[in-house]
Amino acid sequence: MKFLLKIFDKNRHHFEEGGKLRLFKPVFDATENFHFSPATRTIFAPHLRDPLDVKRFMSTVIVALAPCVLLAVYFFGLRVLAVIFVSYAAGGIIEVLFAVVRKEEINEGFLVTGLLFPLILPPAIPLWMVAVGVMFGVLVGKELFGGTGRNLFNPALVGRCFLAIAYPKAMSSNWINPVLEFPGRMTQYVTSLNTDAISAATPLALAKQGNWAGIPNLLFGNVSGSIGETSAIAIIAGGIFLLFTRVANWRTVVGTLGSFAALGFVMHLANPQIFGPVVWHLLAGGLLFGAFFMATDPVSSPITNGGKWIYGTIIGVVTLLIRNLTGYVEGVMFAILLGNIAAPILDEIIVKIRLRKLKNER
Amino acid sequence: MKLRGGYNILLKGRPNSEEEVLCDPEILYLPLQSPRFNFSELCVEDGQQVAQGQILAKDPDNFFVPLLAPRVGTVRLQSVESHIVLENIEQKSEEAIADSKEISVQEKSAESKRKKLLDYGAWQFFYDAFEQSLPDPAKAPQAIILSILRLEPFGINGDAIVQNNLPDFIAGLEKLQSLIEYQPVYLVMPDTKSELTRYVREKIKGKAWVEFMEVPLRYPFDNFTVLARSLGLKRGSENPVWGIRAEGLLAVNKVLSNSQPYTERIISFAGPGVKIPKHLKTVPGYPIDQLISDRVTCEETRVINGGILTGETVTKKTKGIDSECSRFTVLCEHTEREFMGFAMPGFGKHSYSNSFMSLVRRKFRENITTDLRGEQRPCVACGFCEEVCPAGIMPHFIHKLLYQNELEEVEKHRIDLCVGCGLCSFVCPSKLELGKQFSDAHDLIREELHPQSSEPEE
Repeated sequence: MKFLLKIFDKNRHHFEEGGKLRLFKPVFDATENFHFSPATRTIFAPHLRDPLDVKRFMSTVIVALAPCVLLAVYFFGLRVLAVIFVSYAAGGIIEVLFAVVRKEEINEGFLVTGLLFPLILPPAIPLWMVAVGVMFGVLVGKELFGGTGRNLFNPALVGRCFLAIAYPKAMSSNWINPVLEFPGRMTQYVTSLNTDAISAATPLALAKQGNWAGIPNLLFGNVSGSIGETSAIAIIAGGIFLLFTRVANWRTVVGTLGSFAALGFVMHLANPQIFGPVVWHLLAGGLLFGAFFMATDPVSSPITNGGKWIYGTIIGVVTLLIRNLTGYVEGVMFAILLGNIAAPILDEIIVKIRLRKLKNER
Repeated sequence: MKLRGGYNILLKGRPNSEEEVLCDPEILYLPLQSPRFNFSELCVEDGQQVAQGQILAKDPDNFFVPLLAPRVGTVRLQSVESHIVLENIEQKSEEAIADSKEISVQEKSAESKRKKLLDYGAWQFFYDAFEQSLPDPAKAPQAIILSILRLEPFGINGDAIVQNNLPDFIAGLEKLQSLIEYQPVYLVMPDTKSELTRYVREKIKGKAWVEFMEVPLRYPFDNFTVLARSLGLKRGSENPVWGIRAEGLLAVNKVLSNSQPYTERIISFAGPGVKIPKHLKTVPGYPIDQLISDRVTCEETRVINGGILTGETVTKKTKGIDSECSRFTVLCEHTEREFMGFAMPGFGKHSYSNSFMSLVRRKFRENITTDLRGEQRPCVACGFCEEVCPAGIMPHFIHKLLYQNELEEVEKHRIDLCVGCGLCSFVCPSKLELGKQFSDAHDLIREELHPQSSEPEE
């Protein structure tokens, strides 16, 4: 790989101060540091550092999402890849633009947002909507707050929320019927014009009419729904990997799923006719995906452990209430955004308590 | 308060228990500055012939702690900046010991013994457990913490020292007790059951004033502040808490039983950049160039005075081992850029997180360089810093508050409890210099928010 490094070394001066392409320094740096770990040394004690950096941190999430993406391609066809590509491209433009204007580095966090966002969209959604949504999400959800690490909301959810409000029809209709028999839809490119493949409703919507999808289908994922949310097995596998690597915090996940299950159990006991069984609700819709991949975003969730428990509980309870008691069929998105709003306050309360204890430490 | 946080770095280059006695060099370079001391008051003249153990200089700000001549030689004051140079070193001989001090061997009071330790160069092994400074020899302590642990990579292997000098160690405990009246001595031992701990326990059975404290072998549980807090001892009291380590106890024993100045040093010379990491027996002032030559593995190295997490880089200006030094750690400087490192499985990389494949391997020691291993990024709120923090504070919050310049809030978050162990900076995936920021902020708070307490004259 020496030759590649030489190319970088040879061209670096174009991007330095006074070079022709100095505006694009963030792009050059990002490309170089993507290929070769930076030459930076420690200056102060500690003289050595842990190998985990933000790049690894974010790529771990991408690895954890791989099973979801693969199964989505199998069930919904090649268009999934197109949606992901558009999301990365459109969101990337905003990210680079802000990096250039701010003269800052391009942040790896976008690699996660750019993949999470398409996975929570209906598979047959028009591509221009993907572009608009991700640009809105990155711009309003992240950059306007000051960039990575300073955003209040999960940018991918902000983008989806925007689409859900601006284009409610497209966001609730473009579902694709999955194909289970090999090779699935792996060879197909299904658009919304292909009326045979388009499905009217997700299991959660059908359940409101008393039509419950089978649990094996929910587990495996051959039901209609957002691109990445249908296969419970793939999500759980990726999610457990994420918890194991400690990139995501288990408290948020257990808080969310635990409170959801507890309240769901009580509601099911109270009226089994209207409220479905707990296990069914746990597996259906976007709950698992939200709990493992969206709620655990460390930036937009509380930092304190106590805060994470409460935050998870808020998300679990609100999701269940929206699903069962309102006109919406799915509530994970609103629940997590609500949790994001609560996060700073939760942190403040927990920190106040911590500080009171710390005050008397000698 | 319980011990909390902490993390062990499995690093290559741990010193073995072997002790190499270095030959006396031709010339000694004694630095006038060491981490705690500044020997600004010179007691000798240029060209003067000095005896072994003679006082060369004193630190007026630290109870006149002396810098002793390690060997017989001729003083040169001007030849190297901020060093006293000793030339024409005479080889070590038992008779050539200074007896300029007229302290009789029989003195009884604890205070006079402490004074003797000060003059004979053993007092500098004592630490104020909370301030890390030199305690006042005139004041009796509220307790003593004696630790045989060195958990930061890499320090003197306390086990090895105790093992090699068991009778002296036990005798030293008696001597330590004679420095105080009724205050307890906490003997900090590893919580592992070993032959050594059993033996030491057996030996000290009858000594009611020694209290055992068993500590898990996790960095930084050997830190005196961490230990003192976990024992419930109080900071800021009239009587300090003393901290002393195994090598210090041996020095105390030697001075009080032989009435001879203590000029020997055992230092550990270790780290991934060292060919054969081991303990060296030498004297302060030993030329660093001579120490390093032939002993390191790579061309460009960083020599650190102290441990790898808290030590200071030795610059070209420092020519010799300072009198406080107990360890040198050597790291190779980072030169090779790794191709797509973040995407590789990482079988050879230990991480606090579990995101590298090294997990599937059996325990191994890693060869680490001075690589920052990533780029600086804004805090992603992963919370690792809080998990490893032994002081129980919230480094990420303090970082955020410092960014907003809220010094008063920072103080409320108890930045003063930070023990400076460096673990938060070590684990940070965003590569933020948290430890450095905190020590700077601590100084700033003292200057800006409490100017009167740091300058009592005003």
